Amino acid sequence: MARKYANLNPMLQPKSVAIIGASANPDKVGHVIMQNYLNVGYSGRLYPVNIKAEGKILGYKAYKSVLDIKDRIDLAVIAVPAQIVPAVLEECGKAKVRSAVVVSGGFAEVGETALQDKLEEVARKYDLPVLGPNCLGVMDLKSRIDTLFLPTFKIDKPQIGGVSFVSQSGAVGSTVLDLISHEGFGLAKFISYGNAVVVDEVDILNYLADDPDTKVIIFYLEGVKRGREFINVARKVTLKKPIVIIKGGTTEEGSKAVHSHTASLAGSFEAYRAVFRQFGFTEADDLDDLLYFGKIFDTQPLTTGKRVAIITNGGGAGVLATDALYNNGLKLAEMSKASESALKKVMPSIVNVRMPLDLAGDADDKRFGAAIETIANDPNVDAIMVLALFQTPGADSRVAAQLIKYGTSGKKPLVVVSPGGNYTEAHKNMMESSGVPVYGSPSSAAKSLAALISYSIYREKAAHGNGNKIDG
Amino acid sequence: MGGKLLDYMEAHELLKRNGINAMRAVYVASADEAVRFAGGKPIVLKVISDKALHKTKSGVIKLGLSNDSEIRAAYSELEKKAMSLKPYKILAQDMVRNGLEIIVGGNTDVQFGKMVLIGLGGIYVETFKDFALRVCPITRMDAESMLDQLRSGSVIAPNDKKRRMLVDLLLKVSKMLVKNQEIKELDLNPVILHGESYDAVDLRIIK
Repeated sequence: MARKYANLNPMLQPKSVAIIGASANPDKVGHVIMQNYLNVGYSGRLYPVNIKAEGKILGYKAYKSVLDIKDRIDLAVIAVPAQIVPAVLEECGKAKVRSAVVVSGGFAEVGETALQDKLEEVARKYDLPVLGPNCLGVMDLKSRIDTLFLPTFKIDKPQIGGVSFVSQSGAVGSTVLDLISHEGFGLAKFISYGNAVVVDEVDILNYLADDPDTKVIIFYLEGVKRGREFINVARKVTLKKPIVIIKGGTTEEGSKAVHSHTASLAGSFEAYRAVFRQFGFTEADDLDDLLYFGKIFDTQPLTTGKRVAIITNGGGAGVLATDALYNNGLKLAEMSKASESALKKVMPSIVNVRMPLDLAGDADDKRFGAAIETIANDPNVDAIMVLALFQTPGADSRVAAQLIKYGTSGKKPLVVVSPGGNYTEAHKNMMESSGVPVYGSPSSAAKSLAALISYSIYREKAAHGNGNKIDG
Repeated sequence: MGGKLLDYMEAHELLKRNGINAMRAVYVASADEAVRFAGGKPIVLKVISDKALHKTKSGVIKLGLSNDSEIRAAYSELEKKAMSLKPYKILAQDMVRNGLEIIVGGNTDVQFGKMVLIGLGGIYVETFKDFALRVCPITRMDAESMLDQLRSGSVIAPNDKKRRMLVDLLLKVSKMLVKNQEIKELDLNPVILHGESYDAVDLRIIK
């Protein structure tokens, strides 16, 4: 059944928030949520609600019911025992609350389907966009909202950036969120949607499609409920921005009757993979890929060309990187005659001017800079992989500064490979927080470049080709 | 998924109406009819019965019958063997020419609906699992990308002409599946590629 997409604006940019189940007791989830709102510096109007409330909670006047609040509430965050969620939601409906996040668990995921149906019934009655139940909710660092019930000292908050992360699972959600901050790229929005009773992946993708803060979507998906609508929304999104997706539940259990080859080959996961491929998703094999692909898409321009230049300060690393390119369907670029003669003029005699370009172990920022400058302007080069081994005598912060200069110019995709310990890690952080994707191995860098290139090719074909129409 | 296997010749007709080449075939009620169908060319006789899904294994298929006496002998042998498979019919079909075997199919996914599939066929289906799958309706771009996705793509479609032929076949199958929503499953296995053409040799349609 087609239905219009839920309006998630009040949920993600609320001017007024009621926290139902807020508590002065630090052991309660409702307390942590309230505290987190204060920690992120939410600037809207905040209303703690608790049936047993007296006086104030964390310094804010507490209400016994959302119906007692005079203000129009944009978002109600509900963290009360599952059994009373439908009643609380009913009050939200009556109070004309504009959206709700049900953090509470204890619904279909533990077999309480009747309770979940009741929740859905109330939400539909009031046409109330409800996220969850059984979810972490939403985090938008720019709007300074955070419905997560995770104690702030246990999870690093990413910086503000262009990647929005959607997760069906709360646990995968919080883990990846923590890792995003570690990978040094920025978050636009985090949406954990749990049981997807009312607001589902289709609504969320539809919202993010037009969200100006979202440049890239990374997505942990277990399954969709509205397959055809998912496709219809997704193919619109992937014409505008990449969706990196990882599907949970990829192995078929049990054996189906195998009298038809088609049926046995085209199992459910294969159908998902087909959809991902057909409509321009970038599929991640594991959570590492999700992050690796996320950061290249967030920071680097698209290119449909597969000729990658390798610049290195270590010969062996250059060889491994060349292998990694070909293992991922890419090619080593051949530099133009003009680049070759330009480089021969400025490089010392120990540098053999050909691809992969080995600048030698004593390469400093000047040598790196001259090489990248020339290669970045070479028409035979589509993308650049720089292997900067910080263990060598010449490599220091000045080299990192050169890489930042070219890696953020936005002309051609540039990735850096810098494996190493603490000294390297410090430089990696410097580069990543400036918007240069840094990888620990040539293979993860090559795989990420390949993902960027194949998405670019899809987008060009889908935009200029005969379109990729599908009817519902 | 359940469903009902469509009669072989009905499936044959359906494919033909949708512009998909299936190997020339007809039900025969006697050895004479089989001989007439052959018209001097080699044919195949097979018993069609719900009880005989694995024709080769149950010995109810006779290949390469190239003259009248061979056809008559095979026919009476099949009649005897088929006693236990009632109700049954005997199908006469042109003998397959040599060529590469591929599989073309379709099914219905609970979430995404009609899907179309192409892959390397014959004994390689299970070994290599080299196939490409898409949601219907597919575009020409999708069909092209299906061939590009196959590891065996350059073997199956070594030149532009064959490539166009397979792209057209996939588009027709997709169109047929969309038009006939009652088709739950389709198995053209094998489809034999020869020269500039192809023939679907064995057909299964489940409604």
